[in-house]
Amino acid sequence: MRRHYLVTYDICDAKRLRRVFKTMKGFGAHLQFSVFQCDLPDIDVVRMKAALTEIIDQREDQVLIIDLGPTESHPIKRIESMGIKAEWEERRARVM
Amino acid sequence: MESQGPSPGGDIPLLPARMVNEFTYCPRLAYFEWVDGEFADNAETTEGRFHHRRVDQAPVRKAKQAEEEPAETTIHQRSVWLSSERLGVTAKIDLVEGEGTAVVPVDYKRGKRPHTPQGAWEPERVQLCVQGLLLREQGFTCERGVLYFIGSRERVEVPFDEELMARTYELLDGMRLMTQATVAPAPLVDSPKCPRCSLVGLCLPDEVGWLRQPHEGESPALRKLIPSNDDALPLYVQTPGAKVGKDGECLKVKDHDEVIGEARLVETSQVVLYGAVQVSTQVVQELCKRNIPLVYCSSGGWFYGMTTGLLHKHVELRRRQYAVATDRERCLQLARRFVQAKIANCRTLLRRNHRAAPDTVLQELKNDQAHAGAVESLESLLGVEGTAARRYFSEFAGMLKEAEPGARFDFEGRNRRPPRDPVNAMLSLLYSMLAREWTVTLQSVGLDPYLGFYHQPRYGRPALALDMMEEFRPLIADSAVLTAINNGEIKQSDWFERMGSVTLTPEGRRRLIETYERRMGQEITHPVFGYQISYRRVLEVQARLLGRYLLGEIPELPPFTTR
Ligand code: SF4
Repeated sequence: MRRHYLVTYDICDAKRLRRVFKTMKGFGAHLQFSVFQCDLPDIDVVRMKAALTEIIDQREDQVLIIDLGPTESHPIKRIESMGIKAEWEERRARVM
Repeated sequence: MESQGPSPGGDIPLLPARMVNEFTYCPRLAYFEWVDGEFADNAETTEGRFHHRRVDQAPVRKAKQAEEEPAETTIHQRSVWLSSERLGVTAKIDLVEGEGTAVVPVDYKRGKRPHTPQGAWEPERVQLCVQGLLLREQGFTCERGVLYFIGSRERVEVPFDEELMARTYELLDGMRLMTQATVAPAPLVDSPKCPRCSLVGLCLPDEVGWLRQPHEGESPALRKLIPSNDDALPLYVQTPGAKVGKDGECLKVKDHDEVIGEARLVETSQVVLYGAVQVSTQVVQELCKRNIPLVYCSSGGWFYGMTTGLLHKHVELRRRQYAVATDRERCLQLARRFVQAKIANCRTLLRRNHRAAPDTVLQELKNDQAHAGAVESLESLLGVEGTAARRYFSEFAGMLKEAEPGARFDFEGRNRRPPRDPVNAMLSLLYSMLAREWTVTLQSVGLDPYLGFYHQPRYGRPALALDMMEEFRPLIADSAVLTAINNGEIKQSDWFERMGSVTLTPEGRRRLIETYERRMGQEITHPVFGYQISYRRVLEVQARLLGRYLLGEIPELPPFTTR
């Protein structure tokens, strides 16, 4: 089952920051500066954690993974945005 | 995972201790992994590998852990690889520690120590015992082993007592016997192990179990062990001249220098290219590595072929497929079933969507269906199918709403190459998409999409894919065309006519593909198993059931018909 996650990070070094950003692009949609919306099955959560573990410095950096529940229950709709409207990514086939 | 194929000499390859663990968990699982070469990752296996890698390489931790070991330890060897021809097994032992000739194998496990009387589950204890046997072969004294649970940082002692030894020998014998069988052991019945098994999606324990028993048409309420919304999704690139490149974990599509879109690799099930689209070698390699098929089509949607990773290892399955394909009687049986199911689904679609479906036509289709079940040759079956198709398409227009006044969606039966009206153009495009979908699905489960039972092989024609798609044409393609027209997703302005043939605009095609993909993702109640599942998964389940049928595990391939 897929679940929604909000992943936010605080990385102290510019090089690691870029690598974390690039890695996160592979797992979710970039919502804001250092915030990603990820809709992932368990296996990809493990992969994401593994990938991040390789990059971050355990003593200086921080990543928060916030579980928002199963994707079917639309928990993202409960998040209110102020100012510019938030664009949540919907999963669908892409035609380019 | 290390997997070793049979060695060139033809002798039986050594069994890895890991596989003995799987065999203890479930013999069928070990068969799939060891004999068929199937391996699917799930969260547990991935996490396990991640931890193992860290155990294997982290030098900092190594030093730290060494300090925690008792001071008198004199042997402390990591990643020890041992084999024994006599036992027929091989193992990589995470850590061997001990003193003099007395040693203890230590196996690292992900997660926490389970709360069982023996401190560990049987499969882990047996796997460790195999490692102990291998150490004994080397002349060491080895009376016990240790399981180290990474999650809770606990060591569990496993004594190699007589009972465990006897059980281990028994399992090794059982495993050797199993490798000689051509068909997998039967699935476990209603076992709590299945929901946690990484191969549940291809094993189909409850489905196979149910189809093996004689039963009446009632749908059972089976456990839904296969997730239906976990699917990765296709990426279509149809912009002429576009280039697909790789950027980190994403595919990046560029038109000249402008990025027109990105797709995450983990969420991509296949990449479909229409017409002149370029891909980099890097992308091709990455897709092969991840087993994501790369599909090439003409700009009009004609399926040219595809690039995939290595061919599936399950040779026995293809052997059975070839045997059935050369058996006229069994071909006919299957062909009747494909055509009957297709006619049934056409009839249902008419009954549900036609403004006023004439009873006579519905009745005639019903007769055709019965007739198809009784024919004695493939030729007469073709005849029956053709007649039924003409009847069905003669009423097809009755399912279209009069959306735009003056819009020319009128439809007078099926025509193709080239399609002469928009409805036909849309049907042709979606049929070729469905054929591609089936080709990819069949190949991914280890079948040969080019050798069919009803459709005869012809150059470049995926005959088995065409067989399997028969009953899904009305359910997926026809129904998506109806949706696209009746919901106004495709309008008159989306197609143009040139010298008698009709083509969709790129924008129109984009929307039609999206409608089709939405249909594929739609959840329906499985008519045979009674659970909710998306069409995308239905195709996979159906392909696997065909495999189970060809291997003789189930007596019939259940038709997929809706009510
Ligand atoms: S799903 Fe169940 S029966 Fe099938 S291989 Fe896994 S544990 Fe065995």
